[in-house]
Amino acid sequence: MTAYEPEWVQPDKWRARAETLHAEGWQVRDLCGLDALTLGFEHRFEAVVQLIAGTGDRRTIHVVAAGDPPTAPSVVDLWPTVRFMEREAYDLVGIHFDGHEGLSRIMLPDEWEGHPLRKDYGVGKVAVEFIPQPFLQVDAPGQSTMKDEAQVRLDRLGQVVEAGTETETAGS
Amino acid sequence: MTVTSEEIVGRFEAQGHGAFVEDYDPRDQHMTINMGPVHPATHGVLRLLLELDGETVIRCEPRIGYLHTGIEKECEDQNWRSAVTAVTRMDYLAQLHNEQVYCLAVEALLGVEVPERGRYIRTMMAELNRVSSHLVWFGTQALDMGAMSGMFYGFRERELVTDFFEMVTGLRMNNGYFIPGGVWEDLPTGWERPLMHILDLMPGRIDEYEALLTENPVFLERTVGVGAISRDDALAQGATGPIARASGVDWDIRRDAPYEVYDKVSFEVPVATAGDVYARYQVRMAELRESVQIVRQLADGMPGGDFKNMDPKLTPPPRSELNRSMEAVIHHFKLMTQGYTVPPGEVYVAVESPRGELGCYVVSDGGSSPYRCHMRDPSFVNLQSLPVMVKGGLVADLIASIASVDPVLGGVDR
Repeated sequence: MTAYEPEWVQPDKWRARAETLHAEGWQVRDLCGLDALTLGFEHRFEAVVQLIAGTGDRRTIHVVAAGDPPTAPSVVDLWPTVRFMEREAYDLVGIHFDGHEGLSRIMLPDEWEGHPLRKDYGVGKVAVEFIPQPFLQVDAPGQSTMKDEAQVRLDRLGQVVEAGTETETAGS
Repeated sequence: MTVTSEEIVGRFEAQGHGAFVEDYDPRDQHMTINMGPVHPATHGVLRLLLELDGETVIRCEPRIGYLHTGIEKECEDQNWRSAVTAVTRMDYLAQLHNEQVYCLAVEALLGVEVPERGRYIRTMMAELNRVSSHLVWFGTQALDMGAMSGMFYGFRERELVTDFFEMVTGLRMNNGYFIPGGVWEDLPTGWERPLMHILDLMPGRIDEYEALLTENPVFLERTVGVGAISRDDALAQGATGPIARASGVDWDIRRDAPYEVYDKVSFEVPVATAGDVYARYQVRMAELRESVQIVRQLADGMPGGDFKNMDPKLTPPPRSELNRSMEAVIHHFKLMTQGYTVPPGEVYVAVESPRGELGCYVVSDGGSSPYRCHMRDPSFVNLQSLPVMVKGGLVADLIASIASVDPVLGGVDR
């Protein structure tokens, strides 16, 4: 087995590099985001890709995610397996992947703020509050029973109050 | 006289229904439903967004994250040794494989050797874990196919294995038994007897399972040709483990890139080519038999000696030393408060878990806790091949496919 050194690839070079690797028969085994805040790199964010060849050789490629928000090109059309992995890197580290359709949060709720695996994320400092969701949640467009949020009012117990049915409660 | 669709559209437009025809969307006849997150056949809190045309699955989209516990973030707050107790809770049916891959990664960064007895114990326990994990799969696969007794049979034997784990590690699940450098505690006195009882029992019990299902016409009807995935699709979706091997991908990390002491045992890697639920059933049943043989070979060849690396910078000194040696007290104090440090660097290590390639990517910045600890969980990646398997099939076949993917949601969501 050949030992490969890890290599760092700039975001504008990653598409061409990925196409070469894909043509050579490399498969992606893992892709994860890394926040190198205190590692002393020139860049802060990168996506770490683990590849495997048919012979069992493995190599690591660090794709630098530049800019704000950190962005790297997506390779989901070459290797469909990175679909979930890029979503996870977006969700937890906040790396955007250009060309990934449906890049959305995968682990955390959609209304979550921040990216927890960043080194400057305040663990334990931010109280977690969930926006009340209706009981039935259907995701297809036009079929949602969710009301316009502006119309939804909550009473003191957190129940949804229908417009016009609000009653005066004692002591209020 | 046949009416073409253009004529129908023309009639509608003539009657002023042009807008109606334009807005017509064939998807309106499809029904979108959520399967899960609380559903007995989704093996945990998995939600499948299904688009159905009658009973046919048009689209299936797994929605995950209901069991996300932030274990990767948790590892960054633990020291190198105590992070084992965090990673063992990811894939809770293959807990020892999680510990094993994490320990192998940390050992690669540290550059330490594990004594041979430690490697034998770890391999034997991990392989026994594969047996217990496959028994849970057998039970749930049979249960989802309507054979409820399969669940009882599978869990009956799994109980013996978890009892053995309790005897060795003190816990039935989430053992926290492996540490970087070896295992926490040596095998207890008399460990051979319950283990040999399991190993003598299992081949007959596996015959019993096969008698239940392998040629059962109802089971065959539900599994043969159902949920098939081709070799190319399995490779493209990154499927590993029994799913890939049932589709003809002849790859097993234990054989092709041996770690621990897998190069000292002989075993076969079962491969099938059909790629359907039944092929995955055959592959897993054959793996179950092979694993029992591997455990027996390792138990017979168990060497003596140290079970963990006795470097005082890595392993706390024994209790008896603390009364006599000031140096031992200092080492103990340093290890228990700060923990050891690991040289800066990164490493990716992969092992073959019951579900496929379990990888661990660890980055160290030279401190006493992992800078980043990422787990490539096979359930998480294998779940992506589920939509390919079930597309165009029936909802009832979807149940068979989920059971054959064998996802563990603790590992999927981490």
